[in-house]
Amino acid sequence: MLFKEDEAARRQHQAVRENAGWYRWTHDLVEVKGEKSTEILDYLFVNHIAAADVGRSKYTTMLNEEGKIIDDTIVMRMGEKEYWISTLYAPQMIKWIDGHKGDAEITYKDITEEWDMYSVQGPNSPAVMNRMLLDPVDGIKRFQIQDNSIDGIPVKIHRSGFSGENGFEIYCRMEDTGKIREAVKKAAKEEQAPELTILEVYVRSLPVEKGFALRQDMYGLTPFECGLDWSVDLDKSFIGKEALVKAREEGPKYRLAGLEYLEESYEDIAQKEIVYCKGVPCGFVRAAIYGYTVEKNIGFAVLEAKKAVNGTKVTVGMNGSAAVVTDKCWI
Amino acid sequence: MALLDNLEEAKCVQTVWGKLIPEKEAYQYAVRQIASFCANLFQVMRILEPDYEKRTSAICEISYQMNMAASSEEYMKGFYDEWNIPEFCERSSWLGAIFGDSGDEYENMAGRVIQFTRDRVEKELDTCPWDIVGSELCNMTTAMFTANFDLNSATGENEVALNMCEARGCGDRHCRVVAERRDIYGQEKQGWMDHMNQPACPVHDTPKERMVKQGQIIRNGCYSNAFGEEKSFTWAYRWCMEKGWVWCVAFPLIAIRDMAESDEEFERIFKIVFSTAGKNAFIEPFAVEGLRSWLGVPREIGDNDPRLMGGYIKNILDTQLVPCELEAFTEDEVRIRVDTETFNGRFPMAPVEELTLGYETLWHNMVKTMVSTEWSCWFEGKDDEEMTIVVGRKIDKRMI
Repeated sequence: MLFKEDEAARRQHQAVRENAGWYRWTHDLVEVKGEKSTEILDYLFVNHIAAADVGRSKYTTMLNEEGKIIDDTIVMRMGEKEYWISTLYAPQMIKWIDGHKGDAEITYKDITEEWDMYSVQGPNSPAVMNRMLLDPVDGIKRFQIQDNSIDGIPVKIHRSGFSGENGFEIYCRMEDTGKIREAVKKAAKEEQAPELTILEVYVRSLPVEKGFALRQDMYGLTPFECGLDWSVDLDKSFIGKEALVKAREEGPKYRLAGLEYLEESYEDIAQKEIVYCKGVPCGFVRAAIYGYTVEKNIGFAVLEAKKAVNGTKVTVGMNGSAAVVTDKCWI
Repeated sequence: MALLDNLEEAKCVQTVWGKLIPEKEAYQYAVRQIASFCANLFQVMRILEPDYEKRTSAICEISYQMNMAASSEEYMKGFYDEWNIPEFCERSSWLGAIFGDSGDEYENMAGRVIQFTRDRVEKELDTCPWDIVGSELCNMTTAMFTANFDLNSATGENEVALNMCEARGCGDRHCRVVAERRDIYGQEKQGWMDHMNQPACPVHDTPKERMVKQGQIIRNGCYSNAFGEEKSFTWAYRWCMEKGWVWCVAFPLIAIRDMAESDEEFERIFKIVFSTAGKNAFIEPFAVEGLRSWLGVPREIGDNDPRLMGGYIKNILDTQLVPCELEAFTEDEVRIRVDTETFNGRFPMAPVEELTLGYETLWHNMVKTMVSTEWSCWFEGKDDEEMTIVVGRKIDKRMI
C-alpha cells in the first residue's frame, strides 16, 4: 500500500514524472519463430500483428473463446518471422500456444531467463540513455526496438514502458546483467535519476494515474469494456472474435472504471473489495493506490456498466468507504 | 413476471436439527475451534515448562526447523508457479511476505501488507483468531516467518531482521510484523527471544475506522495476491482445515512432548488441562441456551438428553470438514462413525494423534456440564480404521 505520507515513495514517483528513474524488473518473455509465426500470432491476439514492421512492437490483448481477456502483452517484431512477446504469464502463454497452434510451423519458448531488462522512465530518460549508449536514442519512435550497445556489450533498446512517461527498456543477455546494471546506475546518477526500489510505485502508482491497467485488472472483461476498442482489429480472424462481435452488439455488461476514494486512506480496501451503489453490490475493486502527482487515493474497479456513470457516488468494502466513479485516467 | 422455479442455493452446514449455518460462519467457527485446541495445548506447555523463555525458544526452534524442512526447493517452486511470481522477480527475502500474507488470509487473520519492498515488509493485522492463545504463539510465528524469509533468500542466508512489534496476543490493537533487510538497516542476526523489538523505520498505524473485521476470503469471497492470482473461499476453507492444525498444534507438540519427563507424564497433564477446559465450556447456564439456539435444538430435546452433545459433536466435525456418519441418535445413545486416519490426519503429512486424546477428554468432560454428569463421551476402536464417538451412560468409580 502507498500512503500520502510516504516520502520515499513520493520522491521515487515524482522523479519519474519530473526527471527520470530506473529499475530492474520486467515481464516474462516468449520467443516465437517460424514460417507461420505471423499468422499464428494474428490468430492469438486481437491487434493486427502483421501490420507491425520489423523493429516495431504492438500492444494487444489475448482473448479466450468467450471473447474475454486472458492476457495483455507487447508483441515485438524482432525479425521477419521472429517475435518476442512480453507477458507476466509465460508458462500460461506457452500452454495457450500449445493448445491453439495446430500443426503450424512455428517454434516457441520461454526466454525469460536468457534476457534481463532494465527500465529507464521519465521525461529526462533520453539523457540518461544517451550517457551510456553507443548510438543516441533520439530517433527511436515509440514502440520501436533497436540494437545498440553499452560499453561494447550488445543490447536491445525498446522505447516503451509502463509509467505513462517517455521511457526505454534495455534488454541484455543475462550474463551481461551485472555490467549493464552498473552502467545504468552510473548514467542515472549523473542525471540525478534514482533507482526505484518500491514496487508499487512503478507497478501501480505511476501507471494507475495514467490509466494503465495490469492484466489482472482486465481479466474476464472484453477489450471494449476496458476502453481498448482501438486495439481490436475485427477485419481479421482471431480467437474469441465471434463472441466479441456478439458482445459488441449487445453492449458492455461491465466497465473498467476509475474510482476516487474520498477517505484519507484506504487500508480496508483489497483487490477484490466489493463496491456498492445505494447499498447494493455493483462490482469490485481491481486496484487502489495513492497517486502522488494527483494527490488522491485512486484506483480501478469493475462495475456494472449501467451503474458505472462518472460522478456516481458509491461505497467500498465493509466500512462503507466513500468513493466516486471516474474515468480511469487522471493525468 | 413468472415465479421462480426454485429458491437460490447457498452452501451451508446443516445441523442435526436442520438449522443451516452459512459456510462463512461455519468457517469462522472452525478456525476459532482450532485456535481453542491450540490454547489448551499451550496450557499444557506452561505446566511442563514454567520458564517463559525456555518454552518459547523451544517452540520457536521446532517451528523454524519444521517450516524449513517442509518447504523444499520443489515445494517453493510450486509456490512460485501457483502464485504466478514472475521469473524475473528477484528470489530475495521479500517473497517471504507473499507466502506469509496468503497464509494469514486463509486463516482469517484480517489485515494488509502495509509495505512491500525489496528491503522492508510491514504486515499489519486487525484480527487474529489465535489471539487467545498467548504471546508464546506470537513469538513462534516470528520463527515461522523467519523460515519463510530464509527459504526465499537468494543466498540461503538469513537476510532479514523480523520483529513482531505489536501483537493482539499481547494486548495490542494490531498485530504487526516488520521485516527489514539486515544489510540495509544494519541489524544483527536475532535469537528467538529478540523478535518482539521495534523496527528500524517507523510503522504505519491503520486508524480504528479503517480496520476490518474479517479477512478477504470472507469479505470478498476470495484472496487475491499482488500478482493477481486468486484463491476462492472454498479453497481457503479446505486449506485452513488441513494446514491450520499443522503450525499451531502439530509443530509445537513436538517440542511440548519433549518438555515432559515421559509420555505418561505428558498425557496425564494433557488430559487434566483438556478435562478442565471441557468442564468449564458449559458451566454457565446461558452457554447451553446459546448452544441450543446455534444448533436449532427443538424443545423436545430435554435437559438430560445425549443428543444435545451428539448434535454438537456432529456440528464440530462437519464445520471442520471431517466426514462422519450418525449410527445412532436416540435419547439413550449417540454414535458417530468417523475414519480414524482422517480424524487425526487432517493434513495427512502431519497427523496429530493427540486430536483423539484431546477431543475425547474435552467432550467427555463437556457433556457433564452441557447435559449432565450421567453422560460420558468416549471413542471406540481408536486403533481401527474407523472409530466411533459415543455419547452414552457410563459408571466409573474413579471417573475424573
